Amino acid sequence: MPAFSFVQPSTTDEALAALRQGEPGETVIVAGGTDALFELESRRIPPQRVISLRHLPWRTLSWAGESLRIGSTLPLRTLESDPDLRRRIPGLWQAVRAVGSVALRHRATLGGNLGRSSPASDLVPILLALDGEVDIVGIQGERSLPVDQFVRASRTTALGPGELIRSIAIPEARPSAFLWQRVRPANDISQVGVAVAYSPTRKEWRIAVGGVVPRPVLLPQAERLLSGPSPDAAELRAAAQEASMRVPFSTDRRASEAYRRQLVAILLQRAVRAAGSRPSPSGAP
Amino acid sequence: MTFTVRPDADAKLRGQVAFATDRGVPGMLWGALVPAPVARGRIRSLDLGPARAIDGVIAIGPADLARLLPGVTGAVERPVFPTDRIQYHSQPLAAVAAPTRQLARRAARAVRVDVEPLPPLEEIEGFDPVHPGPDRPDVIAHVLARHGDLDAAFGSADFVLSETYRTAGVCQVALEPHACIAEIQGDVWHVTTSTQTPFGAREDLASMLGLPEERIVVEGTWVGGGFGGKGAPLVEPYALLLARASGRPVRLALSYREEFQLGRTSLPSVVRIESAVKGGRIAGRRVHWRLDAGASLPGRDFTTGYAIGFILGPYRIPAIEMEGYAFRTNKPPLGPHRAPMAPQCVFAEESHMDHLAARLGVDPVAFRRAHVWKEGDRTHLGQKVGPFGLDRCLERAGALAATWSQDAAPHTGVAVGVGFWSTATGAGGEVRLVLSPTELKIIEGEREIGSGSVIRGIVAVAETVLGISRDRVRVDYHDTRSAPFDSGVFGSRTLAALGQAVQKAALALRDELGKRLSVPAGSVQLAEENGELVAVSGRRRAKIRSLLTATELALGGLTGEGRHYGVSGEIDTARVVEGTFYPYTDFTGAAHVAMVQVDPETGAVRVMRYAAFQDAGKVVDLPTAQGSIEGGVAMGLGTALTEETTWAEDGRMSNAGLLDYRIPTLGEIPPIEVHFEEGFLGAGPFGAKGLGEPPIIPVPATVGNAIFAASGVAMTELPMTPERVARALKLL
Amino acid sequence: MTASPARLTVNAAPVDLTPVPVDERLLDTVRWRLGLPGTKEGCRTGECGACTVLIDGRSVLSCLALTHEFAGAAVTTVEGLEGDPAGARVRAAFEAEGALQCGYCTPGFVVALTSLLKERGTEASAEELLEDLGGNLCRCTGYAAIVRAVRRIHGEMP
Repeated sequence: MPAFSFVQPSTTDEALAALRQGEPGETVIVAGGTDALFELESRRIPPQRVISLRHLPWRTLSWAGESLRIGSTLPLRTLESDPDLRRRIPGLWQAVRAVGSVALRHRATLGGNLGRSSPASDLVPILLALDGEVDIVGIQGERSLPVDQFVRASRTTALGPGELIRSIAIPEARPSAFLWQRVRPANDISQVGVAVAYSPTRKEWRIAVGGVVPRPVLLPQAERLLSGPSPDAAELRAAAQEASMRVPFSTDRRASEAYRRQLVAILLQRAVRAAGSRPSPSGAP
Repeated sequence: MTFTVRPDADAKLRGQVAFATDRGVPGMLWGALVPAPVARGRIRSLDLGPARAIDGVIAIGPADLARLLPGVTGAVERPVFPTDRIQYHSQPLAAVAAPTRQLARRAARAVRVDVEPLPPLEEIEGFDPVHPGPDRPDVIAHVLARHGDLDAAFGSADFVLSETYRTAGVCQVALEPHACIAEIQGDVWHVTTSTQTPFGAREDLASMLGLPEERIVVEGTWVGGGFGGKGAPLVEPYALLLARASGRPVRLALSYREEFQLGRTSLPSVVRIESAVKGGRIAGRRVHWRLDAGASLPGRDFTTGYAIGFILGPYRIPAIEMEGYAFRTNKPPLGPHRAPMAPQCVFAEESHMDHLAARLGVDPVAFRRAHVWKEGDRTHLGQKVGPFGLDRCLERAGALAATWSQDAAPHTGVAVGVGFWSTATGAGGEVRLVLSPTELKIIEGEREIGSGSVIRGIVAVAETVLGISRDRVRVDYHDTRSAPFDSGVFGSRTLAALGQAVQKAALALRDELGKRLSVPAGSVQLAEENGELVAVSGRRRAKIRSLLTATELALGGLTGEGRHYGVSGEIDTARVVEGTFYPYTDFTGAAHVAMVQVDPETGAVRVMRYAAFQDAGKVVDLPTAQGSIEGGVAMGLGTALTEETTWAEDGRMSNAGLLDYRIPTLGEIPPIEVHFEEGFLGAGPFGAKGLGEPPIIPVPATVGNAIFAASGVAMTELPMTPERVARALKLL
Repeated sequence: MTASPARLTVNAAPVDLTPVPVDERLLDTVRWRLGLPGTKEGCRTGECGACTVLIDGRSVLSCLALTHEFAGAAVTTVEGLEGDPAGARVRAAFEAEGALQCGYCTPGFVVALTSLLKERGTEASAEELLEDLGGNLCRCTGYAAIVRAVRRIHGEMP
């Protein structure tokens, strides 16, 4: 096999310079490598170049008041080990813990997960519920997009050919929860994932669901049926019903459409209860 | 008895044990297989040219077999490569070898295969075996047995319960993929491989390659898990042919995807079970079983006739009928998976028992005990039941279940299930013991596959007979050239059958030492003195060195040989209408208890506690026995809850990977209590019964029964995934 | 562009990366180039944990790693844990509890658990350690003896 060239930029400028060379289709970008390596193996046409982001100075995590900025190449394991994350944004902590295994999370990154944009991603729903913003650098300059506008479908995002995800911003810490269902609890892909978060400043809920084709979605109609941080049972049922009707589920080999509807209704109620009952939650569902 | 650390523990923990995948030799080529692109079809053409055009690549296909195997006289039963008809997806059509792994992969992809695809034969339900259509699967096996007046039993019944169960295909999933290194050494075709059955592999290779057995040498390596999947040769014939074609050693290892696609696994089945009940007792039972046999050869499927022997349950039932069909489909051939198809058959039968008890409003354990075989009873095929501890296991399991039920939380259920099995002690084996002045060597031809039966089990037998400390016993594995014959690791036979050979050889040594000491043979034990072995009988002590002749010393020590060729029981052939049924050898029972919690809104099942009561005859080495039970239970939990091969419409396995084929991970396994019931002696050394397969058998039924107890819904399909339970709960 | 340091260390020994093809996986480098077969090849797709190695002290699946990515880093395989105190604790506990059968997954477990002990020290509960071993598959033991070994390490054994 004609081996590809291997590029390891250590500054943003070097990374952008690397992107300028060659055609986009010829390049594979490796962040944590967990998905890209799989792609390298399965690709019929080997890529011309691999750009590794490992040496970029983007393995960062910084709190500023209520907000959190996560460097796109920060290993997920480092993110989950942050002393404040579990307490302040429990839903994000739960979602990160749901990804793969520890050895995988020592390399896997938030940027990589967003870039892969899997419909079954456990991270996209919570980023949606937290109103996450994607900070992008590119040959044409910098820009920022809500996660909701960033993910489009499997392996399809708003990221342009000359662009990279630099960081992800979470505007505020929120009471939150992420619940999932799998055939096998560990090392499996979620059939459905439900992320919920309550914004204390906007006084409203955010509800997002994964396991949906073509991409995880926010459910504003269901959100609006919940009043205040501790909705009552009737409101929860109404929101659950709305969600299970609204979400465009499909049947695949992991679950049927009907089962996904049932799951989203149940998990939504449990997640809101878990998040609402726990202003300073301990984390575990 | 001493419980020292496993002798292989340190090396394995340091990564110092070389498995077949770890072997490499200078000048070696890497092999790769060319997979069939369809599950069923005709090969129009196979062009190896593009692969051969790559520098350093060797490629072989069906057209090369005559050139590579000039000595082949007759047609072999199953050709290494198909010439015309593709039988299952990814079936190897050709093979390549190259100096690097990457190049071999590239060469395999370069081979041009042109096929005429045909729709795969998959469906086994709804197929009428008596009037098959022109394009229906072949029946490759049909077995039928009857006894008693079934019409009367069903005609006069208080009620009849008729149920249909469906089970999924499950894979062995040894973590080590199949791998071997083949080398042609002059006239000898030598293969170093990971195999449970070196002698069996030699025999199969001889038949596949049309070579005499003495020209084939199989050298076993440490086996990284077998579970039945490393019996019949899989990679070896291709590697040998590539070695022959290239004149170089060839390493061929399956990718994990190929493990699934080519593996000889179990396949889906459908069980219809009907019981006629009168006066609270089972008066008659009829079972009809359909098994997907994949691309198995007609007449060569052993599973059907064997597994069906467990499908009626170990119960006294006056009138019975059992009928089994195995159908050829376009999946890979069936293979033995730890107690082949028994957990599936028993899932149907033991779930049915709980549903009958519920219908009758009686305690399911008491209901079983009212029917269960005891020694001296006759089996469904008229065989006399030997020592059988199942009733005692049931009694203990029932008592534990009652205790657990007391603290059962909401949506939690506790239940019992049983299984039984028959160790393959009928399969023969031999060993040679050599007693030197300082150690006892067990020369044998079976590799340790993990259970500990070789490295600890047969060592414990020698220890028990001779009183020798086990760190003075060394297992000395030999390849098929110089090892005494042994049937290999299958059917839970290692300790029970090879162990008997060791016991006989050890007794022979003891007799000889007794003669030389002029004392009764039974009084001789071995001890250590200043680093040397001594024979002790009462006050008499003599160094082994002093008891050996000069010739014996020169040859390494005193030799004792042991052979075990078992006999098995007899069935009443008058009850057999068609096909081959097998008698049991040992009667090995097990009763399990599970506590599960069922999420009433999602159907998710969590196993909270588990206990196994195992009829063991005699426990020879406790850690080995316990490890077998724990591992078997965990594997059974996979069959029960998560494991399932799925097949796309084009006949391709659609979950050929460890993410989508879900074996249990650490977090799903509950605490497992292991209890042994000793005293109902089996045929093995000191009365031991084989324990490799029995622990997996009752698990799916026990878990299903606990779900029934927790939620009231009867599960009739494996695996019992959250979605299937949710459907049974009518949540969807 | 970065002149990547053309070497890494494996078990404290420097390895020159110049002859290593850029598409070579760390798994193949340690097993076939460096002759360290203790790192086992299982699925090659990151789903079994048998190939776990340490990179700068943290567990990583070597089947999903391109060797060149780790230029400048320190790789430790199971063979490199000989003198490591955490590795020795793990081995001793596995040996005492008989937490292995065929041994194919065993080096991966040893490396993964050693990483957890290094990373979390005594701060993690036994339950967390067990949860964090979920990526290592074992088919023989049913994990029962492995769980006992972890509890023994954690000092929760009676």
